[in-house]
Amino acid sequence: MVDSEQDVVPGARDVTDVLMSDPLYRILHGRLGNPFWLGAALFVIVVAMILLGPSTESRFIYTDF
Amino acid sequence: MAAFRIFAVAAAMVLGLLVGTDIVVRASFPHLDRFTSNFSEAYLDREMQTIAQDRAAIVFLGDSALWGYDVPPGDAAVSLLRRRGCHCRNLSFEGGSPANTYAMLRALVAAGAAPQAVVFNVNQKEFNPVDSAYRTLHPSVSALAWPLLSPDERRLLASQTADDFNARLDRTVAAHWKLYGLRSDLRELMYGDVDAVHALSRGLERLSGASARRDAAHRPTAERFEGTYDLTPLARSPDNVSLTFLRKTVELLAERHIRAVAVLTPTNHALLHAYIDSPEYRENLRSLTSLMERRGITVLDYDRSIPAAQFFDNDHLTAEGNRSFAALMSGAIGFL
Repeated sequence: MVDSEQDVVPGARDVTDVLMSDPLYRILHGRLGNPFWLGAALFVIVVAMILLGPSTESRFIYTDF
Repeated sequence: MAAFRIFAVAAAMVLGLLVGTDIVVRASFPHLDRFTSNFSEAYLDREMQTIAQDRAAIVFLGDSALWGYDVPPGDAAVSLLRRRGCHCRNLSFEGGSPANTYAMLRALVAAGAAPQAVVFNVNQKEFNPVDSAYRTLHPSVSALAWPLLSPDERRLLASQTADDFNARLDRTVAAHWKLYGLRSDLRELMYGDVDAVHALSRGLERLSGASARRDAAHRPTAERFEGTYDLTPLARSPDNVSLTFLRKTVELLAERHIRAVAVLTPTNHALLHAYIDSPEYRENLRSLTSLMERRGITVLDYDRSIPAAQFFDNDHLTAEGNRSFAALMSGAIGFL
């Protein structure tokens, strides 16, 4: 039986360390891990998309001269 | 399971915040002096419902001359009348025409409105088939009025109302979610332009001097208006679309016993002398006046009432021109 520790390649990082250092993991386990913060952030994103989005309505083009 | 709980709580919170925002928008969105240049169906519908509850209102319908093209909303003639005590509601907009006036009136009537009076302007350039609004309804007007028009009336117009799945979904969402439905009005109130990108671009152009250079190069000269006015005698053009819709407007006003005043749009004769100072132009105005007066509409002929220095171009008035226009209307209408 081979000891699993013998398979560790010197210098390689542990997969858990890699996942926990991922920015998304840190965001979700930081403030946004709190559902209220996450909800507030999503709300801001939705409102910003509406207010900052480009005008794509079928605007009546007025031509003066 | 914990992740599911987090997202469920977050989704509930987003929904709650959006509902709360919607309640605030519905309650606090102002009644503007005039429409934004890109007004929404939701805002138009809201104004119609307000007017339906207000039998003392004097409703103004028409084009950019009444809307107040290129002057701040507070400087438009109808806004000035409001400040003098007129119970005026300005439903005119940039790009109006007799077809749009009729469609707007149909939508008003369908909303149950019975205003004290309707004031509308008649602009001879809009009887020209090449005018951009001759047979085209503003999209927001079309969205409300298209279902109210008869098949014959629809055939005269170019339909702009899409009816695919996306358009229906968009209309449904806009009808129930006012933050979304009023987005074009909100953006214009916030940025003074149709959206943030246009506002930013305009700010940069102003800083770089590009807008000043463009304005200097964009002086209205007479030749720019060649072809703007079609002087074909209207009395011999019974199929003219604008004339047809003016007739329908007059009939609808009479049928509904709505008091009405028509304003012949002030026109810059000094600029347009070569194109419109002819017997045909006067004859067309006489013909339109006669058509309206026959059905009891008071016609105010302001065609030559404003001096050339108070125009930006052919029919758009400066702030001073709007003051003169307001003074004329105030005296003649006397707030009815």
